[in-house]
Parts: sequence; structure tokens; C-alpha cells
Amino acid sequence: MSNYRKGARELFEEVIDQGLCTGCGACVTACPYIVAYEGRIVVLDKCTIADGHCYQHCPRTHTDMNAVSEKIFGVPYDDGEVGHALDIHMVKSKDAEIKEKGQDGGTVTTLLALALEEEMIDVAVCTKMDEEKIARGYLARTRAELLECAGSSYEASFALEAYRSIPKENTEKVAIVGLGCQVEALGKIKSDPAKNRANPDNIKLTLGLFCGWALRPDIFHPYLKGLCDPSQAVKFDIPHTPHYTFDVYTKSDTKSVSLDDIRPYINLACQYCWDMTAEFSDISLGSAGSRFPGWNTVIVRTKTGSDLVKLAKAKGILETQALPGQRLAHLKTVALKRKKTAFKNITDKTGDKKDLLYVGGLSEGIADKLSEG
Amino acid sequence: MSRRRLRKEPFNLIISGVGGQGNVLLSAFVGAALLNEGFMVSVADTFGVSQRGGSVTSHIKISKKTLYSSVTLDGKADVILGMEPVETLRALGEFGNPHVVVIVNPRPIYPSGGATYPDLDKVKRAITKLSSKTKFVNATEEALKMGNPIYTNIILLGSLVGANVLPITKETMMPILKERFPGKLLEENIKAFGKGMELIAKA
Amino acid sequence: MASIAMNKPGATVLLMGNEAVARGAIEAGIGVAAAYPGSPSSEVLTTIAGVAKQMKIHAEWSVNEKVAMEVAGGASFAGIRSFCAMKQNGANVAADFLVNANMTGVGDAGMVVFISDDPGGMTSNNEEDSRTITKWLDNPLLEPSSAQEAKEMIKWAYEVSEAVNLVTFVRGVTRISYTKSNVMLGELPEKKEKKAFFPDLWDMYNPKKSKFTSGPFPIFHKPLHEKLEKAREIFERSTFNQYMGPEHPELLIITCGACTSYCTEAVDELKAGERVGILKLGTTWPLPEKLVAKHLSTTKTVLFVEEIDPFVERNVMELAASLLPATCDLTFYGKRSGHLAPYNEQSTNLVIDALVDILGTTYQARDLTYDEEAKKAIQIVPDRPINMCAGCPHRATFWAVKKALQLDGRKGFVCGDIGCYAMGFTAPGFFQSRTMHAMGSGAGVANGLGNLRQFGFDQPVIAMTGDSTFYHAVLPALVNGVYNNSSFILLILDNSATAMTGFQPHPGTGLLATGDPAKVVDMEAVCRAMGADVRVCDPFDLEDTTKALLSMIKKDGGTRVIIMRHMCQLVKARRKITNKYRMHVDKERCLGDTCGCDNLCTRILGCPGLMVDREISKAAIDEALCVGCGLCADICPSSAIIREEAI
Ligand SMILES: Cc1cc2nc3c(=O)[nH]c(=O)nc-3n(C[C@H](O)[C@H](O)[C@H](O)COP(=O)(O)OP(=O)(O)OC[C@H]3O[C@@H](n4cnc5c(N)ncnc54)[C@H](O)[C@@H]3O)c2cc1C
Ligand code: SF4
Ligand code: SF4
Repeated sequence: MSNYRKGARELFEEVIDQGLCTGCGACVTACPYIVAYEGRIVVLDKCTIADGHCYQHCPRTHTDMNAVSEKIFGVPYDDGEVGHALDIHMVKSKDAEIKEKGQDGGTVTTLLALALEEEMIDVAVCTKMDEEKIARGYLARTRAELLECAGSSYEASFALEAYRSIPKENTEKVAIVGLGCQVEALGKIKSDPAKNRANPDNIKLTLGLFCGWALRPDIFHPYLKGLCDPSQAVKFDIPHTPHYTFDVYTKSDTKSVSLDDIRPYINLACQYCWDMTAEFSDISLGSAGSRFPGWNTVIVRTKTGSDLVKLAKAKGILETQALPGQRLAHLKTVALKRKKTAFKNITDKTGDKKDLLYVGGLSEGIADKLSEG
Repeated sequence: MSRRRLRKEPFNLIISGVGGQGNVLLSAFVGAALLNEGFMVSVADTFGVSQRGGSVTSHIKISKKTLYSSVTLDGKADVILGMEPVETLRALGEFGNPHVVVIVNPRPIYPSGGATYPDLDKVKRAITKLSSKTKFVNATEEALKMGNPIYTNIILLGSLVGANVLPITKETMMPILKERFPGKLLEENIKAFGKGMELIAKA
Repeated sequence: MASIAMNKPGATVLLMGNEAVARGAIEAGIGVAAAYPGSPSSEVLTTIAGVAKQMKIHAEWSVNEKVAMEVAGGASFAGIRSFCAMKQNGANVAADFLVNANMTGVGDAGMVVFISDDPGGMTSNNEEDSRTITKWLDNPLLEPSSAQEAKEMIKWAYEVSEAVNLVTFVRGVTRISYTKSNVMLGELPEKKEKKAFFPDLWDMYNPKKSKFTSGPFPIFHKPLHEKLEKAREIFERSTFNQYMGPEHPELLIITCGACTSYCTEAVDELKAGERVGILKLGTTWPLPEKLVAKHLSTTKTVLFVEEIDPFVERNVMELAASLLPATCDLTFYGKRSGHLAPYNEQSTNLVIDALVDILGTTYQARDLTYDEEAKKAIQIVPDRPINMCAGCPHRATFWAVKKALQLDGRKGFVCGDIGCYAMGFTAPGFFQSRTMHAMGSGAGVANGLGNLRQFGFDQPVIAMTGDSTFYHAVLPALVNGVYNNSSFILLILDNSATAMTGFQPHPGTGLLATGDPAKVVDMEAVCRAMGADVRVCDPFDLEDTTKALLSMIKKDGGTRVIIMRHMCQLVKARRKITNKYRMHVDKERCLGDTCGCDNLCTRILGCPGLMVDREISKAAIDEALCVGCGLCADICPSSAIIREEAI
């Protein structure tokens, strides 16, 4: 990994100009020359340093999946459908206040609130939408602040910017909620910490969100404004099959548009994303599908994650249920399909079945496996 | 024509420093003093853009008989007054020779834009190696003690005159300072000048 | 310098070449002096202006060189000796007037123009040799070799100008203009009232007699050539042309101007006085052909030594060709042979090198071991790139521009111009400027770029100009932009002075060249009246300025103006205005070499007042250089630089 060091210039040449930037925010304020502005990464200065953490920590530059997996799980990378998993089931919050605000089961917010209460963490790096529903990273230190972050924005939020803003000398214990690209970036940060930023060993909990794609704020937000007054919106949702809509709940009504209308605003970088289930987390969460509204599917991946879920259950704030076999099979099918699509898009771009852009260190046979059907 | 002796014909003095350090004022003072002593002098300063933080050199050629071109020939400096250490070394590299006398203010001015400044002791050693007659004068330090770095050049002027390498004396210098500095400023500058003479005597 | 008007003929004073030129003009009894500042010529007018009232001279900073030339022309037409000074580029600006003034000739009183060229481009962005202009103008040209001679020549140039009725040029170079040396003063003119009167010479039946209106007719052109021949004859007898050396030199050096002393020194240094003769020409156009021919006949080898172009070299070779076959044995050395270069400044050492080669001798400047050691020792000497001063408002402006352009993200850029902010294409300006040409060209080029929309061009264009440049040459470009609806932003860096050349006042400052109060030509009002969208910012309000810039950039279309108003730090220093802050670095917070990968403040912002405390690898304030502008506090991402209100 460390022989693969480049700087801001290459970050631009190889990631941003190539349409690979996911908007995760890992590079933002990695140095003061990089900022997120109106949905774009902007390098304010021609940094000439050949050895930059901006490049190093970007999830779309070469990533040694094994090294990251070793760092986080202590085992080599599991290139199966949903990555390294200890347990998969369904959960939902029993906390009424959270349930009301949460996206699906409100589990993310519930687990974070518990971790705060138990002093397992001091601060949670979340994504918060402002009045205009522009999503940016946010540091939540109280239950109330956590509640302000509940609910999903489907726009890329550069949320890791907030993590980057934590000063070097800060020793607070941190939890992070992020998408696949974001937890991958965190894995890279942990594997090779920047000496000018807070110690990533302080990250005590990583919650990953399932993710199919994210929208580009620079083009989607103007569209949203055409749909409704963003300040009146209270929730965004993509109900699962058989629905094929993007729904905006406003204070007065619900606007439902076909997903086809939304597609043009999807960040094209997401077509190269390999990881639907945020594989490098302690716990990954998604919705449980339209047959189980108000539930989350949860993949517990580490002991930390498992202990936290157990504690929540013991405290009676979380309700669990087994994931029906058919539902699990569906999850795996979708996740595998995602890997295959990414594999195709990536290799179409590189023109080389061995060159998977950022996905490095996979087993020999993987290309054949993913090329099938 | 001057009654004073000139050790060489022509005699070459170089003042090297960084734009903004006030070398133009220094060379003007020295030039005026030499003129008053009856010498033929040409003084060439660096003007224009280089004055903005670049390296600047003033050449002063002194003669008893004729006006020379202003720029010192390579390897022909007789005295180098260095207002800044690497600039002194730069001047030595071009104009130095085994006989050159060097008076140098060892306070570095760092180049902008991240160019690395060499280790100060290394610079000092290189200077003394190229001129066995090197004297260090902590002019900036003294000026800061006086409350304003602006006095650095007048302290150095004091040292230059006090070093007895030029055919000018404190007495030649005084009327020139008087003409230039009004009132309270004069007092401070005379103090600075005196400080410079003191420092060189001890150096 | 008050002594410039000293009435002590015979007294010796130390004068800078430019001051000597000024004194020459004063001794010549000029009534009008006009100039536009430009190194290396600026001090000439400053000096005259300093004593203008006492000497009853009208001295002005004109808005540009063409106007300066016309101002002087007007005076001469009305019988007042007039004088003009400029740098090499200025002659181009004024050329359009001059190609007509050579036809009309001057008035009864002479007109002299001093142009200082800049070999090596020490204070310019070109190395133009202005002498060629006098050749195509068919006007007489003199070249002084020292400050003393410059003074004498200026005086004599008036006699030439009046004798042949042409504008007469004196060419200086940086080394002449900026070298201070002993100058013996001459007499000041008698104090008698000068009377200006414009003679009505118009004769509708005889245009030939009608002075001061040029026409396309050969009737004007023919007398010009007769005048030039007359000048040549005067030059043949001029004592400014001198020969030193043996009667039949093995090598004849033909030189002029500043190079004269390089040649004498080189010959001395090589002890070649018996072998080499030096013909120094003080009058270089038209060439004193008879004199030169005489000297050519005494030798077989000739070396030309002059600054920049092979001007004398070509002219003498042309003459030699016309003298064939008498000159067929001559070998010529100089720029053509490669012994000297047609660029960069000449020096005694370069002449020595050429002579060593031609004469087949050797030369050793210093002890060889020492030489080796010295060359080795300076390998550790770092480059010292020029920089904007500590506290310079341009640094803040460029920071805001950089940020706004990057945030906008359409690959916008700056069209630069001439002034301190010309540094915009280097590190101190964060490499923002992408074009730089003549005075006012930034706005002009931006005009062109701003009308390329139909070709898919949507990059934002920012033209930069200084306040003085604005009045000099940007006004027409701005009118053009508004009129032709060109899409660009004009950034006027209003720092209250022509800083680069030494703080001369300009029409926006409310001061005249003499220091007397003047009407302020309000640039803001001018721009508004032209119909441009105008904003005024203080670049030290970094955040607001950046926001204003960004919103102007996004406003695409039309010519927009932002005036960046903050006084030049050096002007503040001269006026004893101190900044508000005392700065210090909180060592705990500073990230040092891990900041932005490596010191954002010292490496990128690059203010001379910031340095790295090597022991702890953190930023520090250099107290000897910091002027307390507070800019760095705004850019430090760790809020490690603290400003305290100083009392
Ligand atoms: C862009 C995006 C795409 C998604 N796609 C799918 C999908 O295809 N399938 C699926 O099953 N689930 C998807 N999810 C996850 C789903 O929307 C819920 O976030 C998840 O089920 C957790 O629900 P919850 O009720 O526990 O969350 P809550 O308790 O409401 O907590 C939500 C958390 O999400 C974080 N968040 C909100 N917006 C963003 C954002 N833009 N980027 C990063 N973090 C954010 C907030 O910080 C908050 O802590 C997606 C989420 C996002 C943000
Ligand atoms: S993917 Fe993340 S780290 Fe990479 S360029 Fe985009 S925002 Fe920066
Ligand atoms: S910008 Fe701030 S943190 Fe970075 S080196 Fe300078 S003072 Fe330190």
C-alpha cells in the first residue's frame, strides 16, 4: 500500500477527472487545500507534494482489500457477496422518539445513542441536512444532536469532512456512520494514519449503510427545488420493489416521482462501486425491504458490533428477529449482482480484466467468478 | 583629490543583502562619505523588481584617479559587507578572493516559497573558509534590542566604518547622518551607528 | 534631492545617472518636463518635479508616454524647451506621435527625449533596444557613457535639436540610470522669463511652410532626410566621440554608452593598451561615417561592444560595405560572431572573455584553488525568488482570486499586467496569471477572450490592472469591453501609488508630480459612468472579498469591475501608518510540517514575515519582517496564528 503514494494532482487525474469521486469526503481537509464546494471536490492550491494523504485515503485509489480487512477484522478479505459477517438478522428500535424520526428501523440512531450513553463514544460523525436539505458531515455529541441527523439524504454528503475536522490533539472516542465508500476510506485511514490528524484508533465504532447509489448534489439539488420547497421536506425514501419511486414527504403532502426521473442525477461514480453493504464496518444496516416496513436488515461484522447489539437488546431498546431465508438469499443475490455490475463497468473502463482500478488484492479466480452470467 | 590613502586602485566594496533591508540607503551613505573625502566613486544598486525580497547587491568602486564602471569584476571584491549570511556567501562565491575582508550580520532572512535555507553554522563556516578576515556583527539582534529592526543597516554602517577598511571615518559620516535624519531619529541613528562601531571593535 | 538645483558650477556631487539627466535638463533651461514612470527612468522626472516650482518648470506625470511626448511637443511648438523621459517600452507607446512629429519637426525651442533601456530586463519584462526606433524615425540619437556625460549630453542635445529641428534622443541603460557617481555641476540657466507663443505658420497656399501639421506628402519627408544629414555633419565634429589607443591598433573596439568603461577596464585588466584601441561613439545615429571610416582604415580587426542589439555593429558594417574594396580585409567581431550576446547585460568580464579569445591571451581573475572552493561553497546557497512585501495587499488579492477561481471550477484564469502584481505568474501570486504583455494588455486580451462564447468558451477571465496602469492604458480596453459586451472581470488593484517604480502619484491619488494637490479622477465613478458593474473590496477582508469575487465570477456576461482597495504597505511605511496587529503563533495548535502536508502558511502563502522555527518545525513570525497585516491568521486552517490588537 505504501509504495502507492501520490498527491493531489494524481487524485484529480486518476479519480476526480475520471468520474470516480463518490463524494465521501475523505480527502476534504486532509489538507487545507482541499474543500468540498457545491458538490464538488476543489483543490485550492496546486499542491506539489508527491506524497499526499488525500490520494492515499481516497477509496477510489488503489486499495489493498486484504490489508484493510486484516486491519479491521484480523482476517484476509472475504470477497463473497456481503463481505466478512458474523451474523445477519432484522432489527428495529423500540425507542418511540427515534422510531418516529428514523429512516427505517431507526437502529442507527438508537445504537449511537446507546454508545454515547454508555460512554463507549464521545462523538458521532453523522450526516445532517440543513434547512435547505443540503447534507453535510456533522459531529453529534448528544442524543438531541443525533436525532437531528436521523433519516437519509440520498445525496453524497462528503461526511468524512467532519471527521477530518477533528483536530490532531483531540482524543475523543468517535463513532462514524457512513456509506460503503466512506467506511472503505476509514479502513484506509486506519491502515495508514495521517500524522497531522486525530489518531484513527480513536474510532471505536463504524456503522455502515447499505447503498445502491447516491445522487450528485450539484445537479440533484436544483431538481429537488423544482419538485418542492426543500425546507418543507421532512423525509426522503426509496421504497423497495415492487415500488419504483423516489418519494419526498413534505409537511403537507408526498411527492412521488419515478426512479427513472431520478437516474440522471445519480453520481456516475457509483456504477463502479463494488460494495453494497458497507463491508468494512462493525455493523452494516439497510432497510429490510417493503415486506417489512419499519425494520432494518443488519449485518454484524465484529465483536464490537455484536456486543453493542446485544447490549441494546438486553436494555430493551432494540427488537430483533431472524431474517427469513428467502430475504437473505435476495440480499446476497442483489449484493453479488452489484459486484458483477461494478466488475463489468470497471473492466470496460480499464480494458483489462486484471485491472480493477481501486479494488486490489483479490483472489486469483475472482475475475472468472464475476464474469459469469 | 583625496588626501587619504586608498589601499588598492580601484578599491571594491560590495554590500549584499535582501531587498527591503535598506542596502540602498547604506550604499548612498558610504558613497556620499567617500565623495566628501574627495574620491571618485561609482555606486550601483539593484533596483526594480528584485528589491521585492530578492537578493540585492550594491557595488561601490572607489578610485583616486578615475571613474570606473560600477560593477565589480568577478573575484575582485576588497570588502564585502553582508547584511544576511547566505547573501554574503553568494557574493563571496562570485567576487571573493583570498584577501577579501568580510563583515557579516549573521541573522538569516528566509527565502519565500519553501526553498530550504541551509544550516546557519554551515553557512558561517563556509564564509570564514572563504575569508579568513571575517567578522560577525549581530546587527539585527542589536536593532531589535533597540526596539526596531530598521536600525540594522545603520548598525552595520557603524561596523563598516569602525573596521577601518575604508578611507572614511566617523567624522565623515556624522554630517551625512545629520542631513538625512531629522530630530529624534538622528539621536537613535547615531546610537545605532555607535553600537555598530562598538560591536566591530569587539568582534 | 534639493542640491539638484544648486547653483554651484564646478562643485562635485554624487548623482545617480537619472539625477544627472535631470540636472542636464535643468541646466539646459527646460520649461516643461513630462514623463510616465517606468524603471529604469522614473527618477528623472521625480528629480525635476522636486525643484520644479523653484526652477519655474512645469513638471508632470502624464497619464502615459504618448501623452507625455505630446505635452512636450506642445511646449516645444510654443517655443519652450521641453523634455520627456521614459523606459524603453514607453517609446513604443509614444511612437505614433513621433512618426508624425519627425515630419513636422519641433518648434523654435528644442525637445529632448531620454529613454532608458534595460539590458538584462532587470526591471522590465522585455529587453527592447529602443535605439532602433530612432533609426526608423530618422531622429538623432546620443548615448552617454557616464552620469557626467549624460548631463552634458542632455544639454547638448537641445543644441542639436534646435540646429536640425528634430526631436533628439538620449539613450540610457539601467547601469547609467542607476549608478551614482561623481558629477561636476554646470551653470544653471539665467533666470529670465520664458515667453510661450504658438506661432501661426499656417499658409494655405504653401503647405511646405505650414509647420506642425504632418501630411503624407514627400514634401515633409524629404526635408527630414536633409535634417538627418545635417545632424550627421554635426556629429562628425562632436567631442562625445573619442578615440583612445595606439595609432594603428591590432584590434579596434567600437563601443558606446555604458559599455565604454567595460572596454577600458577590460583592456587595462589584460594590460593590452598597446594592442587595442577604443573608439567610443557618443553619437550613434546618424553614424558619423567619416570618423568611423577613418578609424576603420587604421586596423584589420574590429570588435563591437554595445548593450542589447547589434545596432552600431550593423550600421558600421553597412558603412564598411559601402566602402569596399577599401574595407575588404576587415574582420568583424561582436554579436554576429558570437563573441558577445545580443541579449542580457554586458560587463567588463564579458568583454575580457571576448578579448582573450580574439587576442589569444589568458586571464585569471583569482587564485584557482580559491575559485574552486568558492564555487563549491555556494552550492548550498538557495535561490531567493522575488516576493511581494510583507503586508502587501496583492498577496491577499491573489489568495482570494485563487480561491474564487478554484471554487468556481471552470478553469478561470488571470490576464496579468505590468506592475508589482506581475508577480502573479510566479509563486507569490500563486501562479494565477496566465498572460502578461504590455501596459493594459491584461484588459485588452481579456476583451478578446471574453467574446469567445460562441466557440464554447466558458472559462472565467479576470483581467488585472494596477491603479496607475488603469489610467495609462486600461481605460480604452474597458470602454471596449462595455461597448462590445465582452465577458470578463476587471480587477483594479488600487494601492494608492505606482508602487513598482517608486510610488509616483497618478490621477487617482489627488497629488501632482510636484506634491501639490490635484483633482482626483475617481476610478470607481469612471467605471460606473462607462456602464460597468462595479464593486469595491478591501482584500484584507479576505472572506468577503472571496465571496464578492465568486459572485461576480458566477454572474457571467458583460464587463464587471472590482476595485481592490488597500494601500501599498511601502506607502504606509513611508507615511508612517502602522497596521493594527501584533502577530504570534500558537505553537500548540500549529501543525507545522504536517499542516497541509507541509506548512500552508510559509510554503504557500509565502509572506516574508512568516518563517519556520526549525527546531520544532512549526511556523513562527519573523519579527524583523512582519508588519502586522493579519492576513496569515485568516488563512491558517488550524487557527494557530493569532492576531492581537496592537495599541
Ligand atoms: C445515499 C444512500 C443510499 C442508500 N441506499 C440503500 C439501499 O439501496 N438499500 C438499503 O437497504 N438501504 C439503503 N440506504 C440506507 C437506508 O436509507 C438507511 O440509512 C438505513 O436503513 C438505516 O436506517 P435507520 O432507520 O437505522 O437510520 P437512522 O436511524 O435514521 O439514521 C440514519 C443515519 O444515516 C446517516 N445519513 C443520512 N444521510 C446520509 C448520507 N447521504 N450519507 C451518509 N450517511 C447518511 C445519518 O447520519 C444518520 O445517522 C441508503 C442510505 C443512503 C444515505
Ligand atoms: S471519493 Fe472521497 S476521497 Fe476520493 S476524491 Fe471523492 S471525496 Fe475525495
Ligand atoms: S498554516 Fe497554520 S497550522 Fe499550518 S504551518 Fe502555518 S501556522 Fe501552522
